Amino acid sequence: MKHNQVLKVLSLFIAFAFLFAACAPAATPEAPVAEEAPAEEAPVVEEETAMEEEAPAEEAEAAEVTLRWRTRPDNQEEADVYQGISDSLNIEGVTLEYEPGGSETASYQDVLKTELASGTAPDVFWIPGTDVADFATRGLILDMRAMADTTDGYADADFYEGPMFHLTFNPETSNTGETLWGLPRDVSTFALYINLDLLAIAGVDDPRELEANGEWTWEAFQETAEAVSALGDDVQGYGGSAWWGPYGVWINAAGGNFYNADRTACGLDTPESLEGLQFAQDLYASGATVPYGEDPEPPFRSGNLGMFQNGRWATPGIRTVDFEWDVVGLPTGPAGIPGNWLFWGAYVVNAETENPEAAWELVQALTTAEVQGKVAALGANIPSRVSQEALDAFVGFTPPANNQAFLDGLANSPTAEGPLWAGSWPDFVSVMDTAISSLLTSETTVEDFGATICDEANKAFQE
Amino acid sequence: MTSNSTHSQDISPTDTKTKLTLTILSVWHIIFTVGALTGALLLWQGTTETADWLKIIFSIFLVLGAIFSVLAVFSIRQRKHRGRAISLAVNYLGFLASFFGLLHVTGFFTGIDSLGENFSKGLPYMGLAFVGYLIGSVGDRYQDNRPSIAQKFRKTAQVLGALGGILFLFAVGIIPGILSFISEFTSLPPILLLLSTIIFGVMVWLMWREPTRIAMNTRSKDQLMMEGYLFLSPNLIGFLFFFAGPLLFSLYSSFTDSDAFGNANWIGLENYQEIFNITIEPLEYIDQLAKEVINIEVYDELYRFNIFGKHYVIGAEDQLFWISLGNTIKFVLLAVPMSVIPALLLASVLNSKLPGMKVFRAIYFVPSVAAVVGVAMIWRWLYNSTVGYLNYFITGFVEFVNSTAGSQLLTDPQVGWTSDTQVALISVAIMAAWQWTGFNTVLFLAGLQNIPGVLYEAATVDGANPWQQFWNVTLPMLAPTTFFVLTTTTINAMQIFDQVFVFTRPPGGPGTSTTTIVLYLYKQGFQNFRQGYASALAWVLFLLIFGLTLAQYMRQRAGDEAI
Repeated sequence: MKHNQVLKVLSLFIAFAFLFAACAPAATPEAPVAEEAPAEEAPVVEEETAMEEEAPAEEAEAAEVTLRWRTRPDNQEEADVYQGISDSLNIEGVTLEYEPGGSETASYQDVLKTELASGTAPDVFWIPGTDVADFATRGLILDMRAMADTTDGYADADFYEGPMFHLTFNPETSNTGETLWGLPRDVSTFALYINLDLLAIAGVDDPRELEANGEWTWEAFQETAEAVSALGDDVQGYGGSAWWGPYGVWINAAGGNFYNADRTACGLDTPESLEGLQFAQDLYASGATVPYGEDPEPPFRSGNLGMFQNGRWATPGIRTVDFEWDVVGLPTGPAGIPGNWLFWGAYVVNAETENPEAAWELVQALTTAEVQGKVAALGANIPSRVSQEALDAFVGFTPPANNQAFLDGLANSPTAEGPLWAGSWPDFVSVMDTAISSLLTSETTVEDFGATICDEANKAFQE
Repeated sequence: MTSNSTHSQDISPTDTKTKLTLTILSVWHIIFTVGALTGALLLWQGTTETADWLKIIFSIFLVLGAIFSVLAVFSIRQRKHRGRAISLAVNYLGFLASFFGLLHVTGFFTGIDSLGENFSKGLPYMGLAFVGYLIGSVGDRYQDNRPSIAQKFRKTAQVLGALGGILFLFAVGIIPGILSFISEFTSLPPILLLLSTIIFGVMVWLMWREPTRIAMNTRSKDQLMMEGYLFLSPNLIGFLFFFAGPLLFSLYSSFTDSDAFGNANWIGLENYQEIFNITIEPLEYIDQLAKEVINIEVYDELYRFNIFGKHYVIGAEDQLFWISLGNTIKFVLLAVPMSVIPALLLASVLNSKLPGMKVFRAIYFVPSVAAVVGVAMIWRWLYNSTVGYLNYFITGFVEFVNSTAGSQLLTDPQVGWTSDTQVALISVAIMAAWQWTGFNTVLFLAGLQNIPGVLYEAATVDGANPWQQFWNVTLPMLAPTTFFVLTTTTINAMQIFDQVFVFTRPPGGPGTSTTTIVLYLYKQGFQNFRQGYASALAWVLFLLIFGLTLAQYMRQRAGDEAI
C-alpha cells in the first residue's frame, strides 16, 4: 500500500478505536470500591441480602443494576461525606453512582428539572420540601406507597410529622397518608448566631439567659439589636438573608401564615400576618439591621454583626470565625411562639427509573439513623428521624455549645416548609418576595401591601 | 450541451463496470424511495410514543428523500450531472443520519463522558508515544550524515509510538467498548442502522468514483463545487441542526403551551396576547386602588401617570414582562456608554508607542476573559454595604472632607449597592461595563491602527490640535469600528443574563429591580416550565434586537452616504 493509504487506514483505525472506547462505560460501569459497611448501616437492605445469599452467583450478576443518585452538598467536605456513604452502602445487585449537584452558575433544581425533561435525570435525587408538589403533580417522581406498604420495618411515623404530611399527601383526594413521594433527608430550623464578644461590649443581657428565663421576646430582641447597632456606624444588631424564610418567621410568630388554613389561598393580608410584617418593617427601618437585601454573612464573619439569623446549614461556615459565638433560639412573638420553620428536603425517586424497587431500597438506606448521623456530624444537618438516639448524637456535634436551640426550634410548633398543592409555589413566592422586599425597604406601607398583596398572590392558585 | 453529449458518448461499450454501478445506484434509489415512503406511513400507523412534532419532521425528511431519490433515478438514466449531485446528497445525508443514529442507539454519546473520565488513565501511554515522537525527531538530525542511525531511531520511534497508542486504547477501555458495542446488536434497530450506514456509505463511494463521475458528465467546475459543499457540509449541517432547527422549533413552541415534559398543545397567539395584553383606565383620584378600575383577576398594576391633570393606571396581564423590558432598556442605556466611551479613550491612550503599553493592553483585556462567576463574587464583596471596599472608601472620603472642612459638609450615603432597588441595576451595569470595556478597547485599538498616519500628518500641517485631530480624524475614521462595537455591545446588553443571575440574590432582586428579559424568560422556561411562553418572550426579544440593530445599521449607512 502507498504511504498515503497507510495513513488513511491508520486514521480510520484510530477514529474507530476512539468510538469503541467511548462505548465502553455505557454498558460496563465501574463498580465502586466498597468499604466494609457496618452491619446496622442499612438494616432493610441487609435482611434482603441475607435472604438472597443462596442465589447462584450468575443470577446475582445478571441482576446487577446501576442507580444514579444526587443530592445538593453545600461544600466539598459534605460532598465527600455523601460519596463515602455511597461507597459504603451495600445493596445487593445494585451499583451506586453518586453525583453532587448544584453550583454557583447553575441552580440545582433548574438543572434537575431540565434533566428530567430530557430523560437523563438520576434514579434517586434530593429536592427541597417546597418542590415536592410541583414534581409530584407533573408526574416526575414516583409514588412509593405500594412498595412501602409491603416493606417490613417501614413506618411513616419514624419521621417528623410536618414533612411526612406533605410527603404522603394525595393531590387527587386532598388526603394525607395515601401516597409516599419520598423520605426526608434531614430537617433544619432557624436560630440566631450571636457574636458574644459584640454583645458583651454592648452590655446587653445574654440572649441565651433571657431565653432560658422566658424573656426572649420581640421587644428584648429589638433592644439587643439596637444596643449592638449603637456601637458604631459599621456595626449592626441583626441580619437576615433576603428570601421567604427569614421574613416568614415574623409572620408565623405573630400568628399569621403565608396561606389560609387549607392552603388554597393567600393569607398574607390577615391582621396577624400584617402585624408580623409591621414588626419586621419597623426593625429594618430602625437602622439596627443589615439593610434588607444585603448579604449578612460577610459582616457577621468580620465581627460587625451581633445576631445573624440562619439555619443549621450555616454552622460549618461559622465555625471558622475568630470570635466567641453561639446560637440562641428565635424570639417569641405575640402568638407566644418563635414562629420558626421546619425546613426539610426529601429523597425522591425518578418516575422514569427502570429500577423502582432498587431505588426504594436506596431511599431507605439513605435515611437510616446511621447515615443521617454521618451527615449530621458535619454540623450542617439535623436528622429527620424522630429518634432520641439521633437527637442525642446531634447535640454532641459542637460548636455551637447551644445545639439545643435548634432542637427547641423543632419542638416549639414550627411551621413545616410546605409545597403548594393547590397552586404554583414559584408564582406565589415570586409575587410575595417582590412585595415584601418593597415593604422591608420601606418603599411601601403595610396598609398598601395588605390592600393588594392577595389580589396578586391568589393568581398563583389553581382555579 | 455539446460537452454533455460528448461525455455521454465517452462511455465505452467495454465499461460495463460503470454501467453496472449506475444500474445498482438506480435500483438502490428505487428501493430507498419505497422504503422511505413506507417508513413515513408506518410512523403514523404504529403505536409509538414519538411526539407528533417529531413524527412530522421525520415524515418530511423521508418524503423529501423519496422525492429526490426518484428524481435521481431519472437523471441517472439520462446520465445528467444533476442525478449524480442528487444521489450524492441523498446518500451522504442518509449515511450521516444512519451513522449518528447508530452511535446514539449504541450508547456512544452517553459513553463519551466516561471516555473523558478514563482519558487520564491512558495519559502515561500517550506519554510513551510522545517519547517515540521525540526519539524520531532526534533521529532526523542524522538523516543527512548517518542515515542508518536515523533509520534505527525512526524504527524505534514507530515501535514506541504504536505501542503507546495501543496501550493508550487499552487503558481507556477499547476492549470493553468493543464488547459493549457488539452486545448492542441483539435488537433490530442497531443492526438496521449499521446496514444502512454501510449501504449509504458504499453508494456514496460508488457515485463519487472517477469512472462514475465521467459517465455522469460531471464537469470540472461542478466537481469543484461539490467538493466545496462537501467541505462545507459539517458546518452547514451543524448550522441546520443545531441553530436553524432549534430556532424554528422555538418559533413553533411559542405557539404552544409546552412545558418541556412532552405536553404541548397548539394555542395560536395566546402567548403573545398574554405578553402584550395591557389596559389603561382613568382613576377618580390619585390613590384609588387599581382593582377598583381594572379587572384584577387578569391584570396587575404596572404604572400610574398623569396627563392634563387626569390620573391613569396601566394594567398588564404580564406585569413582569414590562418591568423586565424596562430594566433591560435601562441597563442598555447604562452599560453601553459605560463600556464603549471608556474603551475608546483607553484605546486612544494604548495606541501610543510608549514603553509598557503591551502590558497594559493585556491587563485591560483580562476582565473580558475572566469567568463571570469569579467576577460576580469579587464585586459582591466590593459592593457589600457594611464591609465592602467601595463604601469603605466613600466613608473615608466623606470623613476626610468633613474633618478638613471642620463641619459636616458631606453625609455618608452608605450606598446599598445590592440592596437598594434604585441602585442595584446600576451596580450590575458597572460590573458588566468593567468586564466588557477591555474587549471593546481591543476592537477600537485595531480600528485606530488602521487609520493612515498621513491623515494625522496632514491635520498637523493644517494646524489641528490633538482634540481637533481626535474629533475630525479619529472619530470619523473609526465609524465602522464604532458601529460594530456599539452593535455588539448593545446586543450583549439586551441579552444580559449571567451577570444578573450570579450577582443578585435572589436572581433579579432586590424585588424586581434587576430582572431583565432573558432572566425572566429563563425563570419562565426553566423554573415555571412554561417553555412555550418563554419561547414567545425570546422571539419578542429577538424582534427588539433585530429592530434596534437595523436602526443602528440604517443610521450608520446614512452617515456613510453623507460623508
